[in-house]
Order: sequence, then structure tokens, then C-alpha cells
Amino acid sequence: MASNIGRPAAAAPAASPVPLMQRVYGLGSIFAKTLRDSRRATILVGGVLGLMLIGIGYAIVSQFASAQSRQEMGDLIRSVPPILQGLAGKVVNVETLGGYLQYKYGTFFPIIASLWSILALSGTLAAEARRGSLEFVAAGPVTRRRIALEKLFGHVLVLTIACVAIFLSLVVVGTFGKLPGDAIPVVAAAGYAIWLGLLALVAGSVAFALAGFVGRGSAIGIAGTVMFAGFILNGYQAAIPQLAPLANLTWFGWTTNHIPLAGLYDWPSVVLTASLTVVLLAIGVEAFVRRDIGVTTSIPTPSLPHALVGLRGPTGRTFGHVLPTALAWGIGLGFFGLAIAGSGRSFVEQLGSSPDFQRLLSSIFPNVDIATVGGFLQLLFLDFGMILAGLAAATLVAGWASDETSGRLELLLAAPLGRMRWVVSGGGGIVAAIVVIMVLTVAGIGIGASITGGDIVTPMLGTLSLGLYALAMAGIGVAVGGVFGTGAAGPAVALLTVITWFDGIIAPALGLPDIVRELALTTHYGQPMLGVWDPAGIVASVVLAVGGVAVGAWGFQRRDLQG
Amino acid sequence: MTAIIQIEKLTKTYGSHRGVIDIDLEVNEGEAFGFLGPNGAGKTTTIRTLLDHLRPTSGRALVFGIETTVDPVSIHRRVGYLPGEFTLYDKLTGGQTIEYFANLRGGVDAAYQGDLIARLDIDPSRKFREYSKGNKQKIGLVVALQHRPDLLMLDEPTSGLDPLVQQTFYEIIREAKAEGRTIFLSSHILSEVEKTCDRVAIIREGQLVKVDRVDALRDLAHHQVELRFTGEVPVGAFAALPGVSDVTADDHILRMRVSGSITPVVREAARYELLDFVSREPSLEETFLAQYGPQTGKAA
Repeated sequence: MASNIGRPAAAAPAASPVPLMQRVYGLGSIFAKTLRDSRRATILVGGVLGLMLIGIGYAIVSQFASAQSRQEMGDLIRSVPPILQGLAGKVVNVETLGGYLQYKYGTFFPIIASLWSILALSGTLAAEARRGSLEFVAAGPVTRRRIALEKLFGHVLVLTIACVAIFLSLVVVGTFGKLPGDAIPVVAAAGYAIWLGLLALVAGSVAFALAGFVGRGSAIGIAGTVMFAGFILNGYQAAIPQLAPLANLTWFGWTTNHIPLAGLYDWPSVVLTASLTVVLLAIGVEAFVRRDIGVTTSIPTPSLPHALVGLRGPTGRTFGHVLPTALAWGIGLGFFGLAIAGSGRSFVEQLGSSPDFQRLLSSIFPNVDIATVGGFLQLLFLDFGMILAGLAAATLVAGWASDETSGRLELLLAAPLGRMRWVVSGGGGIVAAIVVIMVLTVAGIGIGASITGGDIVTPMLGTLSLGLYALAMAGIGVAVGGVFGTGAAGPAVALLTVITWFDGIIAPALGLPDIVRELALTTHYGQPMLGVWDPAGIVASVVLAVGGVAVGAWGFQRRDLQG
Repeated sequence: MTAIIQIEKLTKTYGSHRGVIDIDLEVNEGEAFGFLGPNGAGKTTTIRTLLDHLRPTSGRALVFGIETTVDPVSIHRRVGYLPGEFTLYDKLTGGQTIEYFANLRGGVDAAYQGDLIARLDIDPSRKFREYSKGNKQKIGLVVALQHRPDLLMLDEPTSGLDPLVQQTFYEIIREAKAEGRTIFLSSHILSEVEKTCDRVAIIREGQLVKVDRVDALRDLAHHQVELRFTGEVPVGAFAALPGVSDVTADDHILRMRVSGSITPVVREAARYELLDFVSREPSLEETFLAQYGPQTGKAA
């Protein structure tokens, strides 16, 4: 008897082929959909960074229009001790447009692109696996390797597009300069854009390689930590030589002498970074090909004691839910504070060897002994600490918001729990989590300051300004969540934090009026590490925190539950 | 009879998208009420409006005589709700999740809670994210049932449950009904509603098309029967049988629609040499869409 097994099915009506354009961009292929899904992020990263470069470039040539002003600026920068150069770039040809641009701003831009790459590459397969859509994609007539590669090439292409936008912006910036050395050669613009893209891609590739094994959340955490740690270690290695061995294990350390806008190239280090990227991406692809889809290994973490899990009510539950996040931020900020505060002795010594700079600082901070741990932390810890505190608030708000975004609020509000109580309790839980972060951060600062010696109480109290800022940001997040939908709450806080950060950098560079810079809440705390507090910042933070929760509760009473 | 749920001219729209339109409905105390409709018909929108999770565009709904938008917490105190789709706390165990929701209600009868966990065969020590879809559904059922609510609102409650657990669920529902509690159950599975409900409402494209007793709905039910004969197909013998319609013959295969009892067809078929006998209960959608076509008017 003839068997039907293996016999081709009856001819189906001929399917119309997918148009080429749709296979390149749209819904015609996995690659095309990756491009389509990334369009907004590409415009945001490429467009915003490109426009910022143009704006800053224009501001630099306007503010430092003469050779003499450039020379003075260069002398001033060179007089700053390495510890205070901190996270800025190396001081190379800073009298030129490109050199100053790279020194002052160039090192920060790869961080933004890296965060994008980490978020994109950690989720491109893992997030889709978690929500189940990958089951459908993988069940289609495409091999797993091809799925991974199409998604990967999609991201690489959009990152390349963003880098091209940055390259073109730099070419435009090069036309602004009128002084000798201001021209930015095409090879320098390309060198910077390639370096930025590679730094972003290598950070993303860490997340891509890990996501298949440990899941998206852990992959983001590890890749983000590796990236930020490398950035900070490299930034401070000149001032604290003990950090150099660790810093030189990172791509920031490898490429520290690749400063194309200043005319310094180190292509072998770029090739090394590219090689690591390829290896990590290959690991990610092979892991996806060989492993079970969606099966990840949890990184073992100690369980919380039952009392801290938060089962007694909504405040405790929100606190219990975000506590691991708060502990992670607290430990991170605490160690950061400890490392900075503990290196105060180096600062004091370097300050002693630079009397000119000592005089300059004394004119900026009159009646304050800058050669103390408090003064040191005010200069080095607080600005970056504020950004981290704002981002911490964003993650806590997102944790609270997940009640609604995940759908469990359906069940919570079906219990006798009023909408207002849910918002207020959530706010309470977030406040408690911020307290945890602050306790750990203050402890880190205290331990570090005690290593350096001198007054440790004032900087410990000053650290609480981070908590005030986090409270204010959380209040804004809760208000946004309550009124517009909790899905927007965490991103809104993160965006506001980043805008605040850029406001502090960009407003002075663009010569904008002081009022623009003062829109940032961070400018209203005074010099808390030195014991000089501005009541306006304290009051504004409390009003934003309490008012934000009140507005959130009011707004949430008036809208539909999202689901 | 006391009306536990009263829906009056309820309309809910999402911008230009339809939710439900002009719904009028009453569910009485102690009644098990089925809410049937295909996907996207408006079942979940109706339930979420009853819980004040959604606010009516116009009209109103009362539960226990309380308008849903006025004092939802008083309603929730007496309601047990299982959403159609939900996620709970990934990092909590099933037991911790159940404990938390019990605490939100000020505590529950631990013996009854334990009984539910045992009957639904739940391992409460596993993390929620590690559960299969069915086990997550069981946790949701315990959360909805553990405080012995006066009104159970269950949105497609057996979704993901294996047949054995489904039987346990039906048993629990029967017990709740025997205790005089009211059940409002949405489903698109006809047999589920037949097993558990006294009355049923059918909703399609946001509008109620029928509210009736389940017995009446049974009259809608039919079987699609397919017989494969070794020889000639006796079309006439089957076409004349009671309840048989839409008879078609194709080669040695006879197809027909059988309303009501299938016994006459089985008896007639036994007289012939058959290669195959296939009887298929059409989906609810097929059943009631066949009955209530696109031009159907409002509730009967």
C-alpha cells in the first residue's frame, strides 16, 4: 500500500511574494521588523546626540572665539588635578574645538548609546522569549541562527545609522571652527563615531551573550554594572593608580588613548574591542541556537526574611517588591561613595601641589575649607550621585507601577483596597525603599570619610540630599503614573533625570540664561556636603514628593485601570 | 428575588473603539449566571466595569445595590474575582501570594484556604513564575474563592486547567451555589456554562443578543455528524429523521446537522455497514452565530 508519508501536499495557490521593501523595513522579515521596532530609538539617539554635538560645538567656538581665551581655558583645565578631571576625558589638545569637545563631553555620549544597546540587545531575544512571541517566531520556517542573526544585524544597522548621524554632526561642527587646529578631519569624525558605536555595541553584546542564560533582567544588571564600573574605574585611574589594573581590563581602559577628536588614534585598541564584541555576539547567537528557548537560570540570591517580604498590606508589599532593587542601588551607591570618600587623601595631596587651583576653588566656594572630605565629595560625588539617585527612583517607581503594567492590579483592586490607598501605600513603600538606599549610601560615605579623616558627620548628612532628590523624582513618577498611566511613570522619571543631567552640562555650554540651568532641582540644594543647605531645595523636594503622591491618587481615582 | 447585579443602559467605549453598548442585565441572588460570547465581544469589559476597574461612558451598574463608581470598596469586600488574564508577583511563592491576598481582606478561614489548596492540588512552595499556566490559574482561583465571597466574578475560569481540575472547579462552584452565593461566570465554552449556570446571557459585538435560561440555550445546541459508509449512501433514510437537517452526500460520506437528541441517528446508522462515525459539537461561536446572525437585534 502506498504511503502518504513524505508525499508533498497538494499544490497550494501561489502566495504573493513579500515586497523587497517590506523585507528590508516593515513586517516582511525579522530583520525588517527589528528596524521598524527600533526607529524611534534610532532617531532619538542619533538625532539628539547629533544635535547636541552641533549645539555644543557652536557654543564652544562662540564662547572661546580667540586664541587667547582658548589658551586660558587650556591652562585652567591642565591645572585641575587628575582626581578632579574625574569622568571627563584625557586632557589632550583641549585648546582645539575637537579636543575640548572630546574632553568635556565626548566620554559621556557612549554611555547613552551603550544604555540603548544594552536594553535593545538584552531584550531582542530574551524579552520575546519571556512574553511568548518567540515561540511563534521560532515555530516558523526560519532557523534559530537566522532569527538571532537577523535581529542582531537589525540592531547593528540602526546603531550604525545613529553613528552616521553623529559622524555627520561632527563634520558640521568642524566647519564652525575658525582658529588653527579647529578643523575636524573626516577621519577624526569617523574615528569618534566608530569608537562610540563600538563601545555601545560591546556593552550591548555583554547583555546579548548573557540574556539567553540568565534572562533579560539579570543581563541588563550585569552588563550595566560592567559598563558603568569600567567607565568610573577608567575615569579615576589617573588619580587613583590602584584602580589602573582593573580599569585596564575594560574597553574604556583599552581605548583610553583613542581620542580622535583631539588627533590621537589608537586603532589596535579599537580592533581589540571589536574582536571582543564579535566573540560575545557569537556566544549569544550560539546560546540561542543550542539552548532551550526561554529557559534561563536564576542567579542565586538570598531570600528575604519572611517579615521583609511584605505580605501584611500594600505598603509592605510595595516595599518588599522593590526592596531587592533598593538594596542593589544602596550597595552600589554605598560602594561608589566609599571609593570616592576613601580616596580623599589623594585629593588633598593633589590639591596641595596645585596652589593655583586651590585659589580658584576658594573663589568659587568662599568661607569653605575645600581641602576636606566634604568639599571633595561636593565636587566629585554629588553630581553623579544625583543622577544615580534619580535613576534609582525611576526603577522604584517602575516596580510600584508593575502592579498595573503586569495586570495584577486587577486582582489587588478587586480586594477591598481603594484606589487612593493603593497609590498612597505605594508611595509609602517607595519612600521606605529610598530610606534603605540612603542608609547604605550614608554608611558608605561614613566609612570612606573615616578612612580619609576629618569631619565625617557633615558629608554623611549632606548625602541625604540624594534621598531628597530621589523622593522628589519618585513623587513626580507617582503623579505621572496616577494621572496618565503607570506604564509611563518609570520612564518619565528616568527621562527627567537624564534631562536634568544634560541641563547642567548643556545650559552653560550653550550660554543659556541661568534660569534654564536652575530649572534643574539638583541646583537648589546648596552645598550639602559642606553643610551649606539651600532650604528651597528641601522644601521643593518635600512638596514634589507629597504633592506628587496626592496628584497621583487624585488622577488614579479618575481614570480607567489599564489592562 | 434580590438583584445582586443590575446593569442599566451600560455603554463603555475606548475612544472610537466599541466596548459594550446599551447593556441591560440583572443577576439575582443565589443564581449562577453565565456570560457567553466570542473573543472581543465585551465580556471582560462588562466585568471590569462591574468592579469599577473601568468607568462607564454612559449608563450605570450596581452590585449589591451599590453603584460601582460610588463605593467600589464596599462591593469588593463581598466579591471574589478571577481575571481572564493576570500575572502575579514573580518572586513570591504561590503560598505567599495567597497569604498576601488573604491579608488584604483582613484574613480568611485558614481551614477553607487549606482545603482549596489541597483540592486544586497546588504546591504552594514554588515561585509564581515557575508555575505552569494551569497552576497560575489555580492560584488565581484560590485568591478569588478563599474569603467565601457573596458574589464570584470569574472571567473564563477554566482556561488552562486540566480536565480533572476542571471537575474539581465545577464541584466548588456547585458548593458555592448550594451555600446561596451568586456566581457570574464568563466563558466561551458552551458545555462549561451548561454544567454550572442557571441562566445565560449571550453578548456579541458589545451588545446583548439573548438572555435566557440554560435549558433554552440547550435547544440551540446541535451536532455535526459525519458517517462514512462502505456502500451506497442512504440519504433519504437519514433526512427523514427528527432533528436532522442540512443533509449532504459526498461520495460515501453523509453529513448532517442534528438538533436535540442524537439517538435516532445512532439507531439508524446501526443498520448499515459503516467505516466511520464522527459526531462533533460545534463551537459555541458556530452555534450561536448560526442562530444570531449579524443582523440580530437586542436581547430577547
